[in-house]
Formats: sequence, structure tokens, C-alpha cells
Amino acid sequence: MKKRFNPIKDKSSEIINYLMASPDMPEDEALRFKLQLSIEEVVENVVRYAYEGGIGWLEVSTHLDHDTLILTIELRDAGVPFNPLERPDPDVTLAAEDRDTGGLGIYLCKKMMDNISYRYEDGNNVLTMTKRI
Amino acid sequence: MEVIINKQEGKTLVELKGRIDTTNAEQFQRDVNPLMEADQLDIDIDCAGLDYTSSQGLRTFLMLQKSVNARGGQLVLRNMNPMVKEVFDITGFSNIITIL
Repeated sequence: MKKRFNPIKDKSSEIINYLMASPDMPEDEALRFKLQLSIEEVVENVVRYAYEGGIGWLEVSTHLDHDTLILTIELRDAGVPFNPLERPDPDVTLAAEDRDTGGLGIYLCKKMMDNISYRYEDGNNVLTMTKRI
Repeated sequence: MEVIINKQEGKTLVELKGRIDTTNAEQFQRDVNPLMEADQLDIDIDCAGLDYTSSQGLRTFLMLQKSVNARGGQLVLRNMNPMVKEVFDITGFSNIITIL
């Protein structure tokens, strides 16, 4: 399944719901929880930060390999080149006073998905996440 | 998302119901703001009805913990479902917030 959303300003939940309703998605509740959390974090990143004033598009797709049961979710946008994976992981051992919440979302994605990768291609940010379901 | 706040014998009892996600994380933050006021020292939050939280929800829990620490109070989260608990575990929030 693939769809290009344009414009995307204030459309996070519509985009997340589209992906979660894909027939490629598993039914298992715990898996869906992890996928939704990961999707929400990366979609929000694009909707909030990729385009100045939120004016721009986001293309999302799902693909399930029925032999390997590997689910691939891809996000593509033409916003400011940005690799969210370059950000250092938060130090999860710090005391409350020393913690901030920066980088927490993408860190959760890394932990919830099997693999997450970024490339800049033809002027687009392309973020690919996979999980065996 | 529902945040039900009850004061009882010097303690503040809170019940959370629903999901904290992109549609309501800011509202959740506003709903929780009264708990960061000076007379709310000991806060006990029942999370049995909390079905989901994104990192935006975690941000609010961290703010609340910092606020309670600064005032010498205590924050306890109870009855968290295993999926939500995992989010707190992975992010190390289980080490800085008391979860029973």
C-alpha cells in the first residue's frame, strides 16, 4: 500500500491511521502497539519539522514479504535533508533531574523495530523501518 | 483520554483512562498541570486504564517526576499494562519513576 499525503500539516493521525489500517499489518496487539509507536514517532517528525510552515508532502508505504514475514514501512518526503538516526541515543541511566526527552521518540523506534535506515535519494528523505511479524 | 483527579487524606489519587498519542498529548499535559502545584506532594496514579503512550506522554511523566522531586514529594504509578511498562523500561523511565 502506498499513498502520498499533501498537505501534511495537522494530518499526523490521518497518516498514522492509514498505515495502521494496512492489510500488511499484523493483528497481534503487542506487535501493533510497537508498530504504532514507531510509526507515530517518525510521522510526527516529518509533519512537524520537515517543511517550513508544514507545507509539503509525505509518501508512506507498507510492504509485507509473505515468505519472510518481514514488514517494511517506508516514509519519503522532500523536506529539509535530515537523518534522524544521526542523533546520539539518550542516556537512559541518568537521574530524573538530568534527563530530558530529546531523542526519545527515535530511540523508541530503534528499540521497537528490527531495523531502521535512512537515505537521501533524488532530493528526498527516505526512512525505512522493518520488523518481522 | 481521561485524567480523573481526587484528593484524599493528603494524597492525590489520579486515574488515567485511554491513550496518550499525537492527538491529545498537549491536552494531557494541560490536564496534568494541576498536579505540579505546590500542595500536591504525594501523587498516586492508577494506570490500569492507560492503553498507550507515545514519547510525548513520557515527556509529561518526566516533568511531573521532576516537579515532585523538587518539592520532596512522591510519585507512584500503578497497574501499568505490560506494553506501556515496556516503553517505560526501554527508555529508563522505570528507573526514575516508581512503578508498582
